[in-house]
Amino acid sequence: MSLWVDKHRPRTLDELHYHHGLSARLRALAASGDFPHMLFYGPSGAGKKTRIACTLRELFGKGVEKLKIDQRVFMTPSKRKLDVNVVQSNFHIEITPSEVGNYDRVVIQELLKEIAQTQQVDLNAKQRFKVVIINEADSLTRDAQAALRRTMEKYMSNMRIILCANSTSRLIAPIRSRCLLMRVAAPSPQEMEKVLQHVATREKFHLPDEAAHAIVTDSGGNMRKAVLVFEALKMQSTDLTGSLAIAKPDWETYCAKVAELILGEQSPARVMEVRAKLYELLSHCIPASVVLKTIAECVVERVDESLKADIMHWAAIYETRMRVGSKKIFHLEAWVVKVMSLYKQFFYGLDMSGFDD
Amino acid sequence: MYTKSTGSGAAAPGGSKFGKLLDVPIHRLMDQLSTATAEKLAHDDAQGASSSAVPAHKIDQPDASLWVDRYRPKCYADLLGDDRVHREVLAWVKEWDQCVFGRNKGKGKKRARPEDGENVDEWRRPQEKILLLSGPPGLGKTTLAHVVAQHAGYNVFEINASDARSAQIVEDRIRPALESGSAIGSSKPSLVVIDEIDGATGGSDHSSGFIQKLISMTFEKPKKKGRKNDPKSSRPLLRPIICICNDLYASSLAKLRPIARIVRFSRPNDVHLVRRLRDVCANEGLRADSRALTALVGMAQGDLRGCLNTLQLLKARGKEVTEPAVRRATAGMKEAEASLTTVLNDLFSPLSRKRAKELGLTEDDEARYIGRLSREVEGTGAMDRVAQGCFEHYANLHQHDANFERYMKGQEWLSAYDIMSGEMRSEREYALMQYLSYPLVAFYPLFQERGGPKVERPKADWENYQKTKMSEEIYKTLARGLRTASTRHMGDFRHLASNGVLQLEFAPLINRIISPPIRPVNSQVIRPGERILLSRLVDIMVAMELRFIQEKAEDGQLVYRLDPPIDVFVTYDGKRASDISVSRYAVRHLVAAEIDAKLISRDADSSERYKRKSNFFRKASDEGEEAQEDTEEGDAKLTERNPGSDAVPRKRARQAEMTEKVATDFFGRPILVPKGDSNKPVSGHKTAQEQKYRVTYRFNEGNSAAVRKPVKVDAFL
Repeated sequence: MSLWVDKHRPRTLDELHYHHGLSARLRALAASGDFPHMLFYGPSGAGKKTRIACTLRELFGKGVEKLKIDQRVFMTPSKRKLDVNVVQSNFHIEITPSEVGNYDRVVIQELLKEIAQTQQVDLNAKQRFKVVIINEADSLTRDAQAALRRTMEKYMSNMRIILCANSTSRLIAPIRSRCLLMRVAAPSPQEMEKVLQHVATREKFHLPDEAAHAIVTDSGGNMRKAVLVFEALKMQSTDLTGSLAIAKPDWETYCAKVAELILGEQSPARVMEVRAKLYELLSHCIPASVVLKTIAECVVERVDESLKADIMHWAAIYETRMRVGSKKIFHLEAWVVKVMSLYKQFFYGLDMSGFDD
Repeated sequence: MYTKSTGSGAAAPGGSKFGKLLDVPIHRLMDQLSTATAEKLAHDDAQGASSSAVPAHKIDQPDASLWVDRYRPKCYADLLGDDRVHREVLAWVKEWDQCVFGRNKGKGKKRARPEDGENVDEWRRPQEKILLLSGPPGLGKTTLAHVVAQHAGYNVFEINASDARSAQIVEDRIRPALESGSAIGSSKPSLVVIDEIDGATGGSDHSSGFIQKLISMTFEKPKKKGRKNDPKSSRPLLRPIICICNDLYASSLAKLRPIARIVRFSRPNDVHLVRRLRDVCANEGLRADSRALTALVGMAQGDLRGCLNTLQLLKARGKEVTEPAVRRATAGMKEAEASLTTVLNDLFSPLSRKRAKELGLTEDDEARYIGRLSREVEGTGAMDRVAQGCFEHYANLHQHDANFERYMKGQEWLSAYDIMSGEMRSEREYALMQYLSYPLVAFYPLFQERGGPKVERPKADWENYQKTKMSEEIYKTLARGLRTASTRHMGDFRHLASNGVLQLEFAPLINRIISPPIRPVNSQVIRPGERILLSRLVDIMVAMELRFIQEKAEDGQLVYRLDPPIDVFVTYDGKRASDISVSRYAVRHLVAAEIDAKLISRDADSSERYKRKSNFFRKASDEGEEAQEDTEEGDAKLTERNPGSDAVPRKRARQAEMTEKVATDFFGRPILVPKGDSNKPVSGHKTAQEQKYRVTYRFNEGNSAAVRKPVKVDAFL
């Protein structure tokens, strides 16, 4: 039994609930027989992968839903073994090269060449090419992207590539220019509510509007999260009426707590306390940049207007440093200290001016 | 005399009938003594003559040999330093006597040492077959090993860093040396001294490394425990091995430490060193005041070899040993190597008066800290750990810092350090290495404080690393579960297993999804509403391979533990999220039982299906796409079992049902005689088709030169 997220996932372009214009364009492209390389990008949970699956269905018919999932082993030049999970049907293959971190180039090179050099065997296939879906394309290393660009041109006759990324900014320009860019925006609250209502009818119960509204506001345009939250809610309390406590992921609640600590008191002891909390978050494998972003957002909500810009500015600076350096905790704490100092200065400055009058 | 007391414990091979009391017969000792006095007198004469008459000759003579060698202790009584350490080493070597000299010793000896019986094995070896001497350089570890070995009557076979040290050496050189024993010229058995073993490679990771091999050698036993004189293939280690290292905690020694007897050297008392140095000076005719010698010893931090070399240098220059001379001569010797904690303490506290005096620094020198500290930081060889230590310590200091001015500066330096080292690693620009220590030195002016809290060994980072590793493992298991689930459910769960989504959205929410409020009642009397909830819960958990596993808690109570333990992801600071009700034992018991039942039925189903598949084949049905059908059927079956939650079948599912209802009854079993009105027309049509079709099967057609003949499928089944 699948979760609702999967159970009610649209399977064809017609079933998609929002961005109908985009669906129409995809359908036209699939029908045209001149299908380009594509780059789907948009925020997490907007429905990129769903849309890709629907497009494939449109291209190849029902056969793409017959999936085989297995693990492939690749060898690096230094004889290290890499395990990559590969999802494939007769017509397409889906990989997430970022699973192997810095060795993604090897995977890209070997796998793509292998696919590209074999032609479609199935004579009944609707298209002459195969499709390669590369997930998390924005975390591909530069080497891997460079390996991709030539392959994309050379093997155009029997392969198309569909990239899936959160933003285009980390893809090199040559790749962007070789793809048809498809932006999948986050759904609007109304659209999301419609989807939730759709799920509710399919599951045969009534979803009160207030509940739907509450879930949608909390999910921040992330459809997957909304449906997961919805299911969690339904599991916890069957009737969905009255005041609902929308389940927030725990790390978010925890980040909010850290923000409170930062603003509550500014002292060396508090720095140590915050550090312990940051370690706790990091040890739960929450990415450091997400931690920084979430805390910064929480802090900004609570401080004076004039400080907001500064705090975000520094958050951005320390985030960059974090990416360059290797010890995340140094930069996280540096930011915390910075914010504490800014906040304190602001506070005392305010008090002083009060005394002056 | 010490020699007497130990000598009575065990006799060297030379001691024949006198061996009962002394190693060396008394008349020989007397002889030695008289020759020594004679030599000394002669030497003194020569010295006196040369120093007064020909100054040039005086300078020439010391060059002939290093003082370090000349004054190396020749016998056990000459050893300088902690007697207890020496005795411990000697005692260990003596423990081998039973094994090595067992034959030529009287039986009566054994009874003299009562502890023989307890820690001696079949060959009467001591419990630890390897002795590991550790300590800073220049204290005489190597000398001790040699002297003790000679004293106990062994031939020393030494391997040090100048020899290749690979696993092969163990086989090629050490083993023959250990086993040949008295075969070569001398009558003494051999003892292997492995010097500077911490530099040996391949200790921990390589299975074929030097140390690994060494360890395996100590554990070797002959195949048959018969006669021990001529074992065939692998022979036991029957001779002592002494290993010497500077850094006891070197990673390469990790495996060796637990099985070796460890003897730590510490700095001998300064007084003894000074006395010995004074003797040497007197012997060499070098005038030295004791203040200078004390300064020298302090500077060298107990390194006797360094002291002797310095003295020889001074002597060669024809200078007197005075304090300024000593200072000048030891200019480069100041900081040899400092441990992590010392460096950290130096960074966070100013130089102590005593140490400053030892180093002979003036106020002015002290103010110029950058060179001194950066050298020290670099000397540790573990700058990352120093940085980590700085990071962990600076906020512990209770200094007034209103605007976090200093904190920000400190953090800025740390950031600079981290970025620089990160860049250095990723771009392989190791030329940056020499600048890495400077950002850390900046902590000294910012945070130094006399009498501040002691710096502790940095450990938070390591703990965090361990925890992160554990969480990663759990995430990995969860992702694996999701992938398996996706193979069973047409790739349904696979998008949830991707990075980021798994940690940020799925892990916290799935915990809520799988903990609905269920009352702990018997599964037979459960209300229909709850039944639906329960069956859905069980379905989800089975799909993702989540289990409840029964375990005994520390207090003896039975508990059900979630496996993989994904509930750690809603546990922060040891507290579970408040909005998730912790299911009670009874509930978990109920769920676990249901899960087990489900798993059994699933296994049964798959084996049924397997059988059915072969049935289909025989009946020549034209239902292709078996794989798809299987999963579809699984879904459809669940739909039937659980009509409340999944009443509206998808278009896809409906299509699948059309084809598959042909062969399954309500429970998903194959039916031969179709019943139920919806099935009838379809299967009727089917039987009609069955007569028309024939399955032909061709094996390796075209590839084989063998005789071809048509075979019925039945023959294969």
